[in-house]
Amino acid sequence: MAKVGLDGHDVGARVIARGLLEAGMEVIYTGIRRTPEQIVRVAIDEDVDVVGISILSGAHMALIPRVKNLMNEAGAQDIILVCGGVIPQEDIPELQASGVSQVFLSGTTVADIAKYVQFAVDTRNQKSDALK
Amino acid sequence: MKHESPAMSPAQVNEIEAEHARWIEQVYEPALERTPERRAFEVDIGERIEPLYSPATLVKAGFDFSKDVGFPGEYPFTRGDSATMFRTEPFVISAYSGYGEATDCNRRFKKLIELGAEQILVALDLPTQCGYDSDDLMSTGEVGKVGVSIDTLADMELLFEGIPFNSVKRVGTLGNSIGPIVLAMYAIVGEKQGLAPADYVVNLQNDPLKEYLARGTQIIPAAPAAKIAVDPVEWCATHAPNWSPITVCYNHLNAGGAGSTWGAALALGNAIHYLDLLVARGIPIDSVAPLFHMFPDERHDFFVSVANLRALRKVWARLLSERYGATDLRSLALKTTVYGHGQETLQEPLNNIVRIGFGTLAYVLGGASYVYIASHDEAVGTPTEETVKVATRTQQIIAHEHGFTDTIDPLGGSYFVETLTKKTADDMWQHIERIDAIGGALRVIDSGFGRDVMNRGAQKRQQRLDRGDRPWVTVNIHPQVPNVPNTAFRLDPTTTERQHSRTAKIRRERDNAHVQHALDTIDRACVSGENMMGPVMEAVRAYATVGEIAERWRRHFGSFEPATSF
Repeated sequence: MAKVGLDGHDVGARVIARGLLEAGMEVIYTGIRRTPEQIVRVAIDEDVDVVGISILSGAHMALIPRVKNLMNEAGAQDIILVCGGVIPQEDIPELQASGVSQVFLSGTTVADIAKYVQFAVDTRNQKSDALK
Repeated sequence: MKHESPAMSPAQVNEIEAEHARWIEQVYEPALERTPERRAFEVDIGERIEPLYSPATLVKAGFDFSKDVGFPGEYPFTRGDSATMFRTEPFVISAYSGYGEATDCNRRFKKLIELGAEQILVALDLPTQCGYDSDDLMSTGEVGKVGVSIDTLADMELLFEGIPFNSVKRVGTLGNSIGPIVLAMYAIVGEKQGLAPADYVVNLQNDPLKEYLARGTQIIPAAPAAKIAVDPVEWCATHAPNWSPITVCYNHLNAGGAGSTWGAALALGNAIHYLDLLVARGIPIDSVAPLFHMFPDERHDFFVSVANLRALRKVWARLLSERYGATDLRSLALKTTVYGHGQETLQEPLNNIVRIGFGTLAYVLGGASYVYIASHDEAVGTPTEETVKVATRTQQIIAHEHGFTDTIDPLGGSYFVETLTKKTADDMWQHIERIDAIGGALRVIDSGFGRDVMNRGAQKRQQRLDRGDRPWVTVNIHPQVPNVPNTAFRLDPTTTERQHSRTAKIRRERDNAHVQHALDTIDRACVSGENMMGPVMEAVRAYATVGEIAERWRRHFGSFEPATSF
């Protein structure tokens, strides 16, 4: 779970991190005000399956695709990227085109996010198993 | 209403207590056997709301009219911070606004004043609040987004072009981590407008300690940040005693999960830390306490909100009197700033007008002094001109229609509200003692205690919502799909570029030797611990950028470390 940019509002990020932990997942929270570079470094160092980015400041179009690009450059294409926050409908297709797997809007329950994360990881693992 | 209370004889009190118990056992509970209660009626602060309140409830809570309530403008100020309250002048209609760069934003301010806003609080963008220039790499994507971008004094001059500071009741901004810089900007622009400090009022939030627990615009570690924040307070005590350079807040603490009672206590703990720093400088308490305001917050429960404001004034008066020996009425009577909110939704956002109206009304009934209000699209982003207009009119309707402001403290004496007020004040006081025992505000931050209180609260709130214990129309009652409409405010895409070129021009044209000299003086003040205001005033006057000044602080004090617990 990560907060990118200068947005310091992290209630949502903390609540979801705790919810995923209680759903049996291992969760690392980066804390607020991380750069895309810092987030990608943590994701690779900690060998995570999924990076979830919470952003409410409106800087999502400048920062989230950058996280995906940096992951690709670092050879970490298989890390699943999801994001949530205040994101206008019209930005969602562009975010998805840049490689974001899912955009969660306010009102999503923690249980639904946990379900999605599990599903996305299982699907990815099945695909990579099939290739072996 | 203790037994010696002249309002009721002991025999009458006993009779009411017996009657209350009889009604519960013989009337209410048997009725529940036929139809059970709808839900648990536990409010956000954790209090279970009773089916009925009566004088018996007050007796049980140890309520004493003279000690707990009293009269407006008199100790303990539960009923109001002034004698006449809204009878002579309703609360100050305040607007928090800002976006883009200064010239765009200036037009919005003029529009707001035309609508009737009596105070303009500038919303700064995140780079400015976090001490980065608009062209810093850290500012990517954030320039002008959640507020206006201010790099130098030149931006501030443009922002208030044609708006003399004395044409409104107060001007100001949050500037929680850059207090001395923004205070200097208001002082110097005022001077350039031909005004003396006595001619206008500057209000700052300038409360860095809460940033470490919520909100997150901190620049340096907490201890030096608190020191830098009280420098402007000391400066104002001498040069501008009519200004209000510090507003200790719990809106973000509450929203971040603390709940309003713990939020108040954490904020009061922060206020104690600031006051202690000032008193340690040998400044008399009655010279600085009147410069402190507080920013309460309770957006879940209407009656808790009324009680919270009443309780806060009472606890503040007790704290200032008992702990600091303050005697000046202006030290003891706490002025409050509030920001009217409800639990706003992205689902059918027009409904937020009603939620925000009720949330704001609660603050007004609680006797708030300065009232801001959210626009109904604020959950989405910067409000549009249309939604700001609805919000301003909502404030005016509450101020003037329905008779909401006709009598002072209209809910005073309500069995329910007085019980809640008494309990809330008692809890706040106990929590303050707990914070004292931990070692004060800085320990609350670095021990993780504050963060734990907030994490637990945020978690509990989410669970109540997910379980449906907390009804929320269009979310868990008649649920609708959330929608961030495409009509949301969109920033002019040339904003960042225009801001960059103005700042680049200033950097070329200013006296760079003067800037360098002023920045070096800031370095020396970091080392010596002298008041930061003098050196910062000189740097701002020389058109040093916000980033250049903050960088000196970062270099000397180091950067903050983000908390990673959840």
